[in-house]
Amino acid sequence: MNKREFLQSVENGLSGLPREDIEQRLSFYGEMIDDRIEDGFSEEEAVAGIGTPAEIVAQIIEETPLPRIIRERVRPKRKLGALEIILLVLGSPVWIAIAASLFAVVVLLYAVLWALTIVLWAVFISLIAGGIGALALGILALCRGEIPQGLALLGCALVLCGLSIFLFFAAKGATKGAAILVKKLARGIKSLFVGKERSA
Amino acid sequence: MDAQLKRGLLDICVLAAIKDEDSYGYRIIKDLKPYVELSESTLYTILKRLEGGGMLTVRSAEHDGRLRKYYHITQAGVLRIEEFKEDWKEIESIYQFVMREEKQHE
Repeated sequence: MNKREFLQSVENGLSGLPREDIEQRLSFYGEMIDDRIEDGFSEEEAVAGIGTPAEIVAQIIEETPLPRIIRERVRPKRKLGALEIILLVLGSPVWIAIAASLFAVVVLLYAVLWALTIVLWAVFISLIAGGIGALALGILALCRGEIPQGLALLGCALVLCGLSIFLFFAAKGATKGAAILVKKLARGIKSLFVGKERSA
Repeated sequence: MDAQLKRGLLDICVLAAIKDEDSYGYRIIKDLKPYVELSESTLYTILKRLEGGGMLTVRSAEHDGRLRKYYHITQAGVLRIEEFKEDWKEIESIYQFVMREEKQHE
């Protein structure tokens, strides 16, 4: 792959990002390739040393905040005509509703992910609280000479604490998993906006 | 290495690479190579962050019929390196403490 093909490929992958961001990236990588060539590398080697366009595009998209991508996507590329503005206004009940529901779906996805982990933590906390409560009541019962009740409560306390340890690891694992999924979700949403349109 | 820690250290590395004289992207990577491996994309992000934080300024200069960007450290950047040196002394003494504990267990 030569320099021109490499830069073209990165540019295609980034289309949808702000023009200014793309230009800066391209001039940076272009300069890097030129400097490598000046240092004695062949053009192919110089390009290969930087990495594949796909890797570079993926990293750049990950680093670009989602609001910046969406703002660029929403901004009209040229001045809108009177007819278009009228259509936009007339169609607003439809497209605003669609946009709002898409937004709601994304928010829901996040909410569900975090709700699941919060539930696990809540169960963990209630188990441990129940366990401590049962322990205290059990000791109290024993002190008052109610041996069978006291022993039963202590047994409950042990079971609850045992379960809470199990829940702790489940909740910890779920939190980690949710964090990874949130990251993947962000990447997925961004890829809806970037790199789909092929620049002519 | 912890990602957060590494990010901070790479910032210092890049600042140190332009401390004595202005430098450009490829040379920064080459100068750092014996000490730390730095990819072009990572360098770009670091340079942007340092520029945004007022630690360095950028100018374009012609080289061999093309433009090349040169990075110049600011007073804030120099100060950042000095802060790091101070921080390092603290880290060093913590390290000494950790190692002393380990020796006792042996």
